[in-house]
Amino acid sequence: MGAALNILDRSMVADTDNYQDPVIDAYKKDVDRTLLRENLKLTVQERFEKFERFMEYVTELRQAGRQARAMR
Amino acid sequence: MSPNFRGILPVLMQNQVRFIVIGGGAAIAHGAARATYDVDVVYDRHIDNLRNLVVALQPYQPYLRGAPAGLPFRWDERTLQSGLNFTLTTTLGDLDLLGEVTGGGTYEQLLPTTQELEAFGTRCRFVTLEKLIHLKKAAGRPKDLEAIAELDALLEERRQQEAP
Repeated sequence: MGAALNILDRSMVADTDNYQDPVIDAYKKDVDRTLLRENLKLTVQERFEKFERFMEYVTELRQAGRQARAMR
Repeated sequence: MSPNFRGILPVLMQNQVRFIVIGGGAAIAHGAARATYDVDVVYDRHIDNLRNLVVALQPYQPYLRGAPAGLPFRWDERTLQSGLNFTLTTTLGDLDLLGEVTGGGTYEQLLPTTQELEAFGTRCRFVTLEKLIHLKKAAGRPKDLEAIAELDALLEERRQQEAP
């Protein structure tokens, strides 16, 4: 009886690492893998530098958006 | 405000602070391409490390993010001992100091699933890509779903490249 309960308990424990979430799988179809492959070729330092350039661009875009709204 | 990894990580390392980079910073280090706005680290809560953390950040005026100005917030070991997770502003940028993280636990518990990586002239400890995915899933936040999908794809790409 105890052993049966033990098996039942273990079967009820979700294996979160191996569980294939259909929602995540759906999102995965939209991931730009070419970008990831390019990043994998870079060193960690280069990845951070690329990120910094990207965030500078994001900041500039936001500022431009704010200015455009202010001019309306 | 952009997260200032370049400013914050070397300061922590120069002061011998024991910490693990998690969250968006770890994702970038592993090759993710998504924007992130936080520097999240899990720190060792041993007293010597709290001392180093206090000394490291003292010059950068740490203060509780989002709190009204003028609160009697003292940046010292006692404050760190009294709390666990601190979301801070500093003159270097925002920094989230976590004593524990969902799905990963404390610094010591997380340590076996970390790796040292070189960035900004220093070697920092980052959570592994596999553990980062686990942490994101354990957090259970809907906003992380896209990030988890990207990290999953990244892991697949990396495994493909590493396959003989």
